[in-house]
Amino acid sequence: MIDAFLLIGLPYVAIAVCIFGTIYRLRAEKFTQSALSSQFLESNQLVWGSLPWHIGIGLIILAHLLALIFPGTWSGLMQNRTILYTTEGVGIALAVLAVAGLVVLIIRRITSARIQAVTSVMDLVILTLLLVQVGLGLATAAIYRWGAMWATAAATPYVWSLLTFQPDASYVSGLPLVIRGHIIGAWLIILLIPFSRLIHMFALPLDYLFRPPQKVVWINPRHQESAVELVEREAARRYFLKGAVGVAAGGTLLTVGAADKVFRFFFGPRLSEREEAKLMAIRVKRLEKTVEHKKYELERQQNDYIFVAKLSELEPRKGRYFIDYAMKPALAFKDTDGMPLLISAKCTHLGCTVGADCNAEGKILCPCHVSYFDIHTGKPNPDSPAKAPLPHIGWVLMDQDGKLVASKHADGSLTGRADPEKADTYSVFIAKYHERVEES
Amino acid sequence: MKPGTALRSVTDFLAGRFPVDKLDFHSMVEKKEVPLHKMSWGYYTGGLTLFFFLVQVVTGLLLLFYYQPTVSDAHASVEYITQHVACGALIRNMHAWSSSCMIFFVIVHLLVTFAMKAFEKPREITWIAGVMLLFLTFTFGFTGYLLPWNQIAVNATKVGLQSVEYAGAYLPGTLSELPRILRETFQGEASVGQSTLGRFYALHVVILPLCFVAVLGLHLLQVQLHGMSQGIDTPSPTSERFFPIFFSKDLEVWSVAFLILFVLALCLPFESFLPFPLLEPYDPLGATPAGIKPEWYFYFVYYPLELLPFWVIMLGSAVVAAGLFLTPWIFKGTSRKTLAFIAVAATLYLVVMTLFGEQIYHLVKG
Repeated sequence: MIDAFLLIGLPYVAIAVCIFGTIYRLRAEKFTQSALSSQFLESNQLVWGSLPWHIGIGLIILAHLLALIFPGTWSGLMQNRTILYTTEGVGIALAVLAVAGLVVLIIRRITSARIQAVTSVMDLVILTLLLVQVGLGLATAAIYRWGAMWATAAATPYVWSLLTFQPDASYVSGLPLVIRGHIIGAWLIILLIPFSRLIHMFALPLDYLFRPPQKVVWINPRHQESAVELVEREAARRYFLKGAVGVAAGGTLLTVGAADKVFRFFFGPRLSEREEAKLMAIRVKRLEKTVEHKKYELERQQNDYIFVAKLSELEPRKGRYFIDYAMKPALAFKDTDGMPLLISAKCTHLGCTVGADCNAEGKILCPCHVSYFDIHTGKPNPDSPAKAPLPHIGWVLMDQDGKLVASKHADGSLTGRADPEKADTYSVFIAKYHERVEES
Repeated sequence: MKPGTALRSVTDFLAGRFPVDKLDFHSMVEKKEVPLHKMSWGYYTGGLTLFFFLVQVVTGLLLLFYYQPTVSDAHASVEYITQHVACGALIRNMHAWSSSCMIFFVIVHLLVTFAMKAFEKPREITWIAGVMLLFLTFTFGFTGYLLPWNQIAVNATKVGLQSVEYAGAYLPGTLSELPRILRETFQGEASVGQSTLGRFYALHVVILPLCFVAVLGLHLLQVQLHGMSQGIDTPSPTSERFFPIFFSKDLEVWSVAFLILFVLALCLPFESFLPFPLLEPYDPLGATPAGIKPEWYFYFVYYPLELLPFWVIMLGSAVVAAGLFLTPWIFKGTSRKTLAFIAVAATLYLVVMTLFGEQIYHLVKG
């Protein structure tokens, strides 16, 4: 019952009183709809109270109104985590700013004798009510997190139900006490608008922000010069303020954006188990490849002979890659006499790896700078950028039992004799002692 | 020349280049004026280079958190950055774009200051430090190119290092061994492998930045000590204060540059200009894929290298490098008109070689 009154009855009373009371006051008591400025009485503390308070509370009310009028757009924006965090962060900061300003205003009002003289009871009531209201709002933000998100599902439909005369308190009646307190506080403040200086809200001098600066100065010869200076200084101040606001806004956006990116970058991805496994599989594969490469290296350091291929596997036109003792790429072909033909595949121009396929003229191509090499002589085409021939590599033939059958040095000298009948059973090796001969 | 007078001239030279009496905030910042004339835009090119260097430092530091400099993991870690880490693709892309921008502006800065005769006495040290920064920037590009360890990177590095060795054939006697020793020192093993990657990594992220910052400090100190060079023949009657007017304009240019860089990095992957297979991880046992090329900023020396005999390029490079370092003395008496002509000619050469190098190559080679 009491809930129904506070959440449905009170709002209607408050809105009605606010509307009719304001209209009455505007017509009956003209010239009272101001904030009853006390700037003439005390201005030093006022700056530190009034400015923070009005900036803070103004922007917060604006955010409340936006969530109320455009709930769809608002909640859509809040789906983005960054925007949500920013909104909540900025909101809390503004609320703290407003509270700080309000505290200064309260202290000023109760300690300054000159202000005391013009202070009414209603002023004190309003100040207390505002403090409680902002305090409840801050408490809501702190205890029941992400209000920017859930409010569009609770407070917005509630207010709309009131405005469309289909009051439905169930949207908010289940909310915690703090939040209901905040809602009821809002209606109380609206209720008191026509009876207090809060009515100045409807006389918001927004054009002050855009009109050219004005300054009241004495017009007499003594003040003439200082008047010009004053106006100039005022204009410069405005110019500076506008620029500062622009730079501050841009800077804030940039900082928030950059901080967001950098933070998320450092936070790193939180991958699912499946993604982790997939990544790990790739890494293991690459590691295996590295291990394979290192094994080749070790093999060449330890073994006197390295297996290249079975003789029967070699082809005259399509080379097989293998790694020679210097860990450089080389190609194995079958020569016209049926014997192996081993040639370095490291281009003598700039060290690219030469391709494995012979063209129609029996030449292999280095793709980097288009050098063709004859595999029999090793010599490059005369117009190739490579000038030196690809060196041939010595080989060794062994039979099935690992017995050395024939061996050919890089210089072309052949020892032993291979039996063409048994060619299919032979295997091709490169030998460490060939390498040594070459080096010496 | 007596040893006494030689020493005297050295100390005189240094005293002229390091006027210690001007080494205070007042003369270096408050009193400094920036001339206003039709070449004034040239004064922003150095600042832009510095800006892109700062972007490189920041994005580079970020990349360090995930990059792993081993042959088995380097490519995978770069993939991890671009595909999994939040904003990783953006940051890596910014690093890539900004590196190109830095190289572009360092070259523009060089050409403009040359044309404006900004190397005149007493600014010789500024110029020499600038040329050193130019070479350091290119070395940054060369070493950084290898780090993703993909086909194009490793193979292009192989070719690059091999060309160093090629120079040996043209050197006399024992000197002919020097390029080979040099290559092996940087390569660390028989072919480009783990040792090379480790060395390039150390160079790219520690040694070069330290050198760069040191030389940059000298460069900037000289710029502030001697003020902006006039840049035109008849000194401009108008000028603006360096601080805060020129300084805030500089920041304005920087913020526009950042916006462009950010949007570019967000929308256009730097590697979209490359044929895809070249970005696959490097395979030490496979053939070199076709289309191996260095980055665009080496085209101006790469395509001539393809077309002309090696000794021509070597001689040309040596002459240009020596000329760059000795510019303040070689062009002491040259008029700004002639300098501008040389700068325009060099610009034309660079632009044509960079944009149409490939077509020229195919045209000549048939």
